[in-house]
Amino acid sequence: MLSDITLGQYFPGFSILHKLDPRTKIISSIIYIVAIFVIKNVIGYALLILSALTLVFISKISLKVIIKGIKPVIIVLIFTMILNLFWTVGEGEPLVQWWIIKIYIDGIYRAIFMSLRVLVLIVATSLFLTYTTSPRMLTDAIESLLSPLKKIHVPIHDFAMMMTIALRFIPTLIEETDKIMNAQKSRGADFSTGGLIKRAKALIPVLIPLLVSSFKRADELAIAMECRCYRGGKGRTKFVKLTMKLSDYVFMTLIILFLAAVIAINYLPFGLRVGV
Amino acid sequence: MSRLELNDVSYVYGEGTPFRTEALKNIDLSFSDGKITGLIGHTGSGKSTLVQLLNGLLKPTSGKVLLDGKDIWEKPKEIGKIRFRVGLVMQYPEYQLFDETVHKDIAFGPKNCGLSDQEIENAVLEAAEFVGLDKNILDKSPFEISGGQKRRAAIAGVIAMHPEVLILDEPAAGLDPRGRREILGGLKEYQRRNGTTVILVSHSMEDMAYYCDEVVVMNKAKVLMSGCVSDVFSKSAELESVGLDIPRIAHIAKALSDMGYDLKGELYTVDGVKNAIEKYIASIS
Amino acid sequence: MSENIKNISDTASDVPFIKVENLSYSYENDGVPSEPALRDISLEIREGEYVAVLGHNGSGKSTFAKLLNMILTTDKGKIIIDGTEITSSSMTDDDMFEVRRKVGMVFQNPDNQLVATIVEEDVAFGPENLGLPRDEIRKRVYSSLDMVGMRDYSKHAPHKLSGGQKQRVAIAGIIAMRPRCIIFDESTAMLDPLGRKEVMSIIKRLNRDEGITVIQITHYMEEAAMADRVIIINDGTIAADSTPRDIFSRVDFLKSVGLEAPQGTELIWELRKDGFDLPDNCVTDEECIAALSELFEKTLKGKKDEQA
Repeated sequence: MLSDITLGQYFPGFSILHKLDPRTKIISSIIYIVAIFVIKNVIGYALLILSALTLVFISKISLKVIIKGIKPVIIVLIFTMILNLFWTVGEGEPLVQWWIIKIYIDGIYRAIFMSLRVLVLIVATSLFLTYTTSPRMLTDAIESLLSPLKKIHVPIHDFAMMMTIALRFIPTLIEETDKIMNAQKSRGADFSTGGLIKRAKALIPVLIPLLVSSFKRADELAIAMECRCYRGGKGRTKFVKLTMKLSDYVFMTLIILFLAAVIAINYLPFGLRVGV
Repeated sequence: MSRLELNDVSYVYGEGTPFRTEALKNIDLSFSDGKITGLIGHTGSGKSTLVQLLNGLLKPTSGKVLLDGKDIWEKPKEIGKIRFRVGLVMQYPEYQLFDETVHKDIAFGPKNCGLSDQEIENAVLEAAEFVGLDKNILDKSPFEISGGQKRRAAIAGVIAMHPEVLILDEPAAGLDPRGRREILGGLKEYQRRNGTTVILVSHSMEDMAYYCDEVVVMNKAKVLMSGCVSDVFSKSAELESVGLDIPRIAHIAKALSDMGYDLKGELYTVDGVKNAIEKYIASIS
Repeated sequence: MSENIKNISDTASDVPFIKVENLSYSYENDGVPSEPALRDISLEIREGEYVAVLGHNGSGKSTFAKLLNMILTTDKGKIIIDGTEITSSSMTDDDMFEVRRKVGMVFQNPDNQLVATIVEEDVAFGPENLGLPRDEIRKRVYSSLDMVGMRDYSKHAPHKLSGGQKQRVAIAGIIAMRPRCIIFDESTAMLDPLGRKEVMSIIKRLNRDEGITVIQITHYMEEAAMADRVIIINDGTIAADSTPRDIFSRVDFLKSVGLEAPQGTELIWELRKDGFDLPDNCVTDEECIAALSELFEKTLKGKKDEQA
């Protein structure tokens, strides 16, 4: 059933990662992503793997969950590998040469390390932003981080409110889709057989009611919000306040140190260098 | 006539997850042909699940749903055909309206059944008449008619498929007393004329008493009791023990009987109690 | 009448909280006004009253509620709320803000009035809009959740709650704004009997214990029976304005406006039509039982006397 889909894959918990301010996590993931892409030295890659494992460990998210999260992107990983394996033109003689295919030793290295980068990128960002942070916290953090833009009249508050409402209504709409599909199935609609065009056509009796009811919902919600004295961000206070704690500063410092270390390692005179 | 039965049916949501819930436990039940059976129970008692099992929207985790003695899941690919034979009107069915005109929308089901154009036309007009939809409404868009008319159009959309069994989940929810009477009265008339087996899900004991022949009471994934209306409403203590009520008029009749006045008859509708009182007074004066 | 006068002197002020004068309203269909939904309505509602507004679908009762909260506006007639004329053309956005702070509204569909993804944050939405300090918001959120018995669910996601629970959260969201009047616009129509009972008991408590003026739009008679006063709107006009007892005993009238009397009252009324000597003011089940048993006893006694 559609309603079985869980949204955002947030796993409530009390680990160090869970307790960090969401803003710390957004900034940390940006720094971490930068670090991932500046790494050239193999020793740096070793440090990267170590750091990723540490993150997994302190998040207390089970490995099973993380592996499950990687599954949908395996295609991307394989694609990255193949691309790097065959398209890298290295120095010296190719290891394998057959028809138009040439594989260099550099290609093998790149294939391994590039897919490693993608893998760590996915694991780290999901750890920071989805597994340990509720979508709502994320919205709050984005609003807070972008708040300087309010000075140049970017409607940050409105965007944040839109995101909150979207998050609130996604489960409701999924449920409703389920209901409408059942109603149309009861009238003989068939969503599971036929070609692509037939199936797309079969969705019309679902999409139209869904659209109509969404508009109705939007309308009623707008009225209800107005009746609760909503008039945009003007004069509004906030119930939840994000606060940076000592642990947030410590964590951020560690991440910055990590970036610095990775850059420094790139300048080491030894170690295999792979990267762009 | 098709006989609809459940044979040791269980249904479990979310098997293998922490959210596993047993919505139905070993249900044995058969619905009488050509009668209106009321299905009553609290939200979460399993009645919605039951209804969706009956027309094959859900497949039993174990047990069988039998139509004319045949397992409806015998050929899973042909489950669509079962849905034409067992029609289901969902709760707040006006959400299902989508087509350009009310006429086309009512014709959606019959068309999927594979009826000929003439048959479809007849089915639409007949269904519209039963639910009390004016002919001039048929050419309007289903989105510009009133709430009550939408409800009727949606019900007509299922009736037009001429199902052998018609199931309605709270067809009168949210309507005012007049709207309730018109819709439920229309259904009763439809059932009387066509002899269709009707299953009516409702929260209103008064409606059950007035419109149904038999009642099935669900509680905590099981059938608490079933039988003809008077049998079920005579067990008021048992109903109250699971938080369900009997019609207010039945309360009054019961209080009077308990005081020693010998009332006899259908003591669960206003007319029934009135007749019983008049008979009683005639007998004592 | 005398009862009315006494009540007015009970309250601190004899100025009505809501005063409606010659109010009319027509919806527009492609710029053309259709049949008026309300025609020339006048009434007063005092602070602390519990008023049920009854009527069949399309009677105009919801239009009336929407006008009270400025969801709809009109220049035909006057609405004065707590001294402010909300139908005046000089109303500013700030004035509207003030009116909505005083008069809260709970709607029919519980899903379409919850904004946030967490219960407590939804309840905080109103107070946030009022610009209250965080400590005050916190206090109000939890006391409001206590009042509707939803404190244990403060961290839950609204979509996982039952209809009745969602509606209780919606009510908490309104209470947290500390309004003096709450309008319930068919707020129980989509709930199951249990949810309806929960919501009804909260409404009753808000009126009795918190002194909040309640205007409840409904078509359920059992709900109207709990009010101090019942106003019946039919075809856009006030068809009756009286106590529930008075109105419920007028079975013929109720039928004529598309409503239903309680079953017991209807039974007595039917029997009276057939010539039985029964009182015409039985509303509760107990009163009906008492009246009927008295009739039985009288008949039995008459028979005994005859035999003697």
